[in-house]
Amino acid sequence: MLLPAMPKSWYLPTKPHKFCPGCGHGIVLKALGEAVDELNIQDKTIFGFDIGCSLLAWDFFGCDSVQTHHGRTTPVMVGIKRSRPELICVGYMGDGGGYSIGSQHLLNAAVRDENITLVLVNNTNYGMTGGQMAPTTLPGQKTETSPFGRDPETTGYPTKGPEFIAAITSDSAYVARATVSKYKQLKRYTKNALRNQMENKGFSFLEVLSTCPTNWKTNAQQTWNFLEEEMESTFRLGELKTPFGKGVK
Amino acid sequence: MEKIIGETKKAFITGNEAVAWAALAAGADSMFGYPITPQNEVMHYWTRISPQYSRSFLQTEDEISAGFTVCGAVQSGKKSFTATAGPGNVLMQEPFGMAEAMRLPLVAIIQQRGGPSSGTVIYSQQEVTLTAYGGNGEGHRIVYSTSTHQEIYDYTIKAFNTAWKYRFPVFVLGDGYQAKMREPLEMYDPEDKGIEMITPYPLIGLGGKIGVDREPAHFCNIYSMEEELYDVVMQFEQDYEAMSRDVIEYREFFCEDADIIILAHGVVSRAAEDAVLILRDMGIKAGFFRPITLRPFPGQQLRDMLSQVKPQKILVAESAMGQFAKLVKNEIYGENIPLETLFKPGMGIIDHDIVEKVRSIF
Amino acid sequence: MYYVYPGGVCIVADREERIVEAYIGEYASGKSELAINRALDLKDQGRLVTLVDLDTVEPFYTLRPLKKYLESRGLKIIGFGTEDAFGLGETGAMLNPKAKWALRNEGDIILDIGYGVYGARTLNLVEGVDETPELKVIAVINYSRPMTSSRDRIKMHITELGRVDAVAANTHLGNDTSIDIIIAGNREIMAATEELGLPVEYMAVIEEFKDVFPAEGFDIPVKYIKRYMPGAMW
Repeated sequence: MLLPAMPKSWYLPTKPHKFCPGCGHGIVLKALGEAVDELNIQDKTIFGFDIGCSLLAWDFFGCDSVQTHHGRTTPVMVGIKRSRPELICVGYMGDGGGYSIGSQHLLNAAVRDENITLVLVNNTNYGMTGGQMAPTTLPGQKTETSPFGRDPETTGYPTKGPEFIAAITSDSAYVARATVSKYKQLKRYTKNALRNQMENKGFSFLEVLSTCPTNWKTNAQQTWNFLEEEMESTFRLGELKTPFGKGVK
Repeated sequence: MEKIIGETKKAFITGNEAVAWAALAAGADSMFGYPITPQNEVMHYWTRISPQYSRSFLQTEDEISAGFTVCGAVQSGKKSFTATAGPGNVLMQEPFGMAEAMRLPLVAIIQQRGGPSSGTVIYSQQEVTLTAYGGNGEGHRIVYSTSTHQEIYDYTIKAFNTAWKYRFPVFVLGDGYQAKMREPLEMYDPEDKGIEMITPYPLIGLGGKIGVDREPAHFCNIYSMEEELYDVVMQFEQDYEAMSRDVIEYREFFCEDADIIILAHGVVSRAAEDAVLILRDMGIKAGFFRPITLRPFPGQQLRDMLSQVKPQKILVAESAMGQFAKLVKNEIYGENIPLETLFKPGMGIIDHDIVEKVRSIF
Repeated sequence: MYYVYPGGVCIVADREERIVEAYIGEYASGKSELAINRALDLKDQGRLVTLVDLDTVEPFYTLRPLKKYLESRGLKIIGFGTEDAFGLGETGAMLNPKAKWALRNEGDIILDIGYGVYGARTLNLVEGVDETPELKVIAVINYSRPMTSSRDRIKMHITELGRVDAVAANTHLGNDTSIDIIIAGNREIMAATEELGLPVEYMAVIEEFKDVFPAEGFDIPVKYIKRYMPGAMW
């Protein structure tokens, strides 16, 4: 049987990984792994993993890594990067960690143009704690804490992370939104988000639309439909800010 | 190590300045902080002086971030610290907890202010419980409670060594009076006093080719099962107990023949020592016992002293409603000595207060 | 212009004789102590004196706890007293509105400029500085303070303060002060100010040393001062 090759920077003793079947994290982490391989930065990359499903990747890579607290991955990465600028610091978090409990860190790190890369996985809910409403939950979407569907009248509209980060960062920041449904684009953006840090250009932020069938209670077809039809029409894909020129491969 | 002070000499400074100079002399690479009174001048002086020595500072968006950036900095192998007070200390309990859980050599200076809530910006001893046992853990922390500017200087230097030697977060517990008061102290470079500063070392970013030269370094602070966490915490407890013998510090003052033992810590120690002398002049045999480390607490030392001296009474004096007294009672459970208290939450205590209290109970 | 005091004492004060001094300098350099001493000296000469607290931050080590006492000595005080601070909430940056108009008061004005890196810039908070030619900005320097503990550091510090008309040499070590420390430190301050082309207004020496201090060895005035600021709270 021919299996797709795993990225060299994945840590084999911890595979197979712990994510649910159909979860998008594996795809995001594959793009990250291949990007790390191709940029040849495995030995100097430090991953920070937030609480939430992101933490299941705490020993995912053959890279040094630190699992932090919920929302606090950004300041930990800032502390490391400012102390050791030669390291490539990548914070990995979910929508709750980035846009809710850690939003003040995200906003201020972006404003300060911290030379770190943050990858935020948006699956429209709090997966690890059992599927509660997240800042990114779509209007009308049912979750454990929005059992009648998210009502924007009382709980607002989904957070548009890259749009808000793009509005407050410097011109050399990298800000993009990708999706696990378009792998080539995802990997290109991931590489750009890492390259931007390697070239000391400043803050790099990549949101990735992802899937959570376990909490969405969807089968494979429904999962994919929700991602491609519902999510991708609410959250626009693309590079909102790139020093490399749009569409550059 | 780089000499900061040069020739050892006396200077006339505030406690907050003493912290900044001591951290520099101790070789701290960075400070992360957020403004809160009464610790502000720690940051003010660090930001003024540190660039001359290529040390760094970041004013973070809040205390949570200040604590976590310090966590990141020490993980990357740099001596780093923060300073805070009151509500800032409350927010920092989260990163302090991570430092406890991941055994990070974090150093924090706490200049207590009045509480609860925003309280006052001035003074208290109400952050004892928070600093020693805050967070959702077991208080695996080292807490030095200082009483003079000289001690602030000495223990700030010591804090970095204790942190990097034993890998528990270390706190220098001062207060607003000590922060703002001015008095002379001797500033020195540690080597000139024969103090060897521990060279920091990275926990991540270890170099070499991963998979060839070494395995990746993975750190976590969350566990799947009760048993996993239990083993981790019990190992911490064992390490903590083992290092306690070397870390515990305390001071006894005229205890040998005392009929009454005054217990106090921090800046109230000054009042207590003066009170002992005044009381002895009055013919009352008073003695004074002071834990310098509130964690680990010199419990056995206190017990040994009490069983030897057999005082008629104990008086616990503190600028809080019994936070320090709780630590004391916990340590001397079973001793049969009446315990009196002088609690003045958020208020200064002077020698006169203690003398009057002793005379009223003696 | 004249002032009549209770008891019928009449003081004639010429407008040109008015003394206006602003004490600036580093945190904990002794600004308040020298300002208080200067104000009381002038008061004891029978002059009308207003002492202005421009320390916007410090909850203590300002004039605040001493306000009542200083008023009882006949000084007019512009600044918050402890009783005024009750109920204000956080003792944050506060400027007494009266301080803004302090220079419009009759008689001598002594300004105690508090806190921070801004030095003489704090005078921007006061109306009428440009119309007060008699204003003298005096930088207080204590050689025992680490930021001013060498000739170069003193020069750098004074340069950073902005406008400085004169220097008050205030070397001391609190309770550990000795005559040797005062002399050695103040000599360095004098050397630094000479290099900057600034006069030394006076050197401050605690009055306990009055009988033993070799004042004659200096060609600048030696002013013996009392310590009014709370030395220790216990």
